[in-house]
Amino acid sequence: MKPRTMKRHLSLICLGILVLLAILGPGIFGLEDGQKAPPYSKPIWLDHAIGGVAVLGIDAGDGPESASAQLMWNYKAPTRISITGRMDGGRLEWRTPDGTFPLASGAGELDLDARDISFKRALGFSPFDDVTRALFPSQGEYVLSLSGGNGSVEMRVEGGRWGWLGTDQRGRDVATLLIRGIRVSLLVGIAATLISTVLGMSLGLLSGYAGGLTDALIMRIVDVLLSIPTLPILMIFAGIWGKGLWNLVVILSVFSWMGTARTVRSMAMSLRDAPWVEGLRALGAKRNYIIFRHLVPETMPLLLANVALGVPGAILAEAGLAFLGLSDPRVQSWGRMLHEAHTFGAFTNGAWWTILPPGIGISLICLVFMDIGRRLEERADPRLSAKIEQEVKI
Amino acid sequence: MTSARKRLFSSVIVLAVVLALNFLLFRVMPGDPLTGVVDPRFSPEAKQQLAAQWGLDKPLSEQFVVYIREMLSFRFGLSMMTGAPVWDELKNRAPNTVALLLPALILSAALGVWLGVKAAQRRGSIVERLVLIGGAVSFSFPSFFVQLLLLLCFAFAWPVFPLSGTTSIPPPSGIAAFADYLWHLALPLFSLVVLSFGGWALYIRNMMVKAMGEDYVLMARARGLPRRRVVWNHAFRSILPPVLTILLLSLPGVVSGAVITETVFSLNGVGRFLLEATNSHDYPAAGAAFFLLALLTIGCNLLADLCCALADPRVRGEGTRG
Repeated sequence: MKPRTMKRHLSLICLGILVLLAILGPGIFGLEDGQKAPPYSKPIWLDHAIGGVAVLGIDAGDGPESASAQLMWNYKAPTRISITGRMDGGRLEWRTPDGTFPLASGAGELDLDARDISFKRALGFSPFDDVTRALFPSQGEYVLSLSGGNGSVEMRVEGGRWGWLGTDQRGRDVATLLIRGIRVSLLVGIAATLISTVLGMSLGLLSGYAGGLTDALIMRIVDVLLSIPTLPILMIFAGIWGKGLWNLVVILSVFSWMGTARTVRSMAMSLRDAPWVEGLRALGAKRNYIIFRHLVPETMPLLLANVALGVPGAILAEAGLAFLGLSDPRVQSWGRMLHEAHTFGAFTNGAWWTILPPGIGISLICLVFMDIGRRLEERADPRLSAKIEQEVKI
Repeated sequence: MTSARKRLFSSVIVLAVVLALNFLLFRVMPGDPLTGVVDPRFSPEAKQQLAAQWGLDKPLSEQFVVYIREMLSFRFGLSMMTGAPVWDELKNRAPNTVALLLPALILSAALGVWLGVKAAQRRGSIVERLVLIGGAVSFSFPSFFVQLLLLLCFAFAWPVFPLSGTTSIPPPSGIAAFADYLWHLALPLFSLVVLSFGGWALYIRNMMVKAMGEDYVLMARARGLPRRRVVWNHAFRSILPPVLTILLLSLPGVVSGAVITETVFSLNGVGRFLLEATNSHDYPAAGAAFFLLALLTIGCNLLADLCCALADPRVRGEGTRG
């Protein structure tokens, strides 16, 4: 593909990638939910002085023997260490470059955490000491060894770096949430705009073609709805009626059909008096026939552009409500991510990686739809692009 | 009917619709309005007593009359959360919202007009590019994202502005209090201006380009009038009425923006009050906050409408002729 065509189709390509990611993303990347790393872990490429998440496993079979696992640690001390597993005797030791700590001995289930007071006392520290740091005194090779017994032990060392985009306040992978959020934005944006366009088209056609009292009534409703601040109403609806995704779609579409209705109405009014429609009437065509076979197809291209141009508004409204915390907490959307980052202290932790990706995502998806909408509009009404060229000439 | 009276009449209709919506939203929607306060363990008698306290035991028609009387006299009843009169809470918060929105609106409109006119005069210049970028920002970037970015830059990375709040704790006194208030207001105000000047400038530019091509502008130039006078007194004067119409149409959006801005910056305004009330199912408080925001919109709408009539000689003429 030539670079120029590439550039012209950039928004379509972007949309294609987003749709593919929304549909296939969870399947390809195997995105599962849940905690992966400490809260607000940094992205893996950001700070090389901090370690990632490392898991050391020992699985010793029958008979008294010695088993061990090594770890090269060239970073700052980790933030969290936990040991789980089971051993039926012997000694579990932690060999650091500066000395050896006996972690546990004898038979039993293991569930240790470096933050537990009992664990600290067992190692000979006071409850106020930072044992995590004491267990990682310097950089070098560390060995976890089990001698004189059987068992399987897993030691988890969490440094504070995870994934391409770090983690959020619950230690969830931000990249995973980001890919999951695409679906919500696309779904809400497109569904709400489609419904509102159908609504606006029918009311606009009715208003423009019927005229008289119907027209006056519908246009008055449009005026009133246009002069009420929408977000507070949406908030109250979402607050009272429930925060489900489909509730949101219905609410959004009920409050965004007015612009379409106005456009369609003016088109219908000019078409109603056009000679060829008058001709149709003279031939005995019924009203419904004229509307559905002639007026609707005539308004179609512009409506298509209208849909594309309306999607950003719906996406922004959804994201806004979610940002205010008025969305279903179980649905992971980009607005929700920003809400959680804002509410749960991303600022005090300087966790910009929880704020930038969803925000850029929302902006990108809106820009893409705006661009597609403008192109469709130009195609539907070639005068628009001609006018632009004329303007440039002046 | 004169045009001024016609406008007043349509404002009254909008107000009536808002009042009716506000009433119906909280009473006809599914769910018991008392869910926020009533515990399932309460006895039916206690429930009834609570319902009586908020007048929910009377028939709808009677409730409606009481409600209208309350709303129009600004006695919004008691909050379901705190039990205190809602009006006391709102009274302190309303000035904060106005102090945020009014300067933001004026500044962004002034900046947008100035940049738009400049961009129309010098096509292809840096000013025009700035206008185009600003337009893209205001139409496709979510406001809260831009505001969060500003917070991240100017309150966290380079802490010159406060991270949240309307005043410092404890609040200073005297002149320092005013300076402190402005210091807290600066970043929200700046964010609102950044978010909205682009849309204005883009719109003004498009209209000015058209106006500058008109014959009367050519005529004015031919008369040897100074360039500044041609641009402002002839070209810009002619697009003033549609500009005021746009101002009018943008008002609901501006008020909606207050909710988000106040939430991001934790400002103590009506918008955040509405959010808190909605989240805690405090229906009288939420209804009052919504009513106040709608009233603000309608009032500004009417004002802009009347300005529009003053700026457009044709509309003005229609008024005097009756």
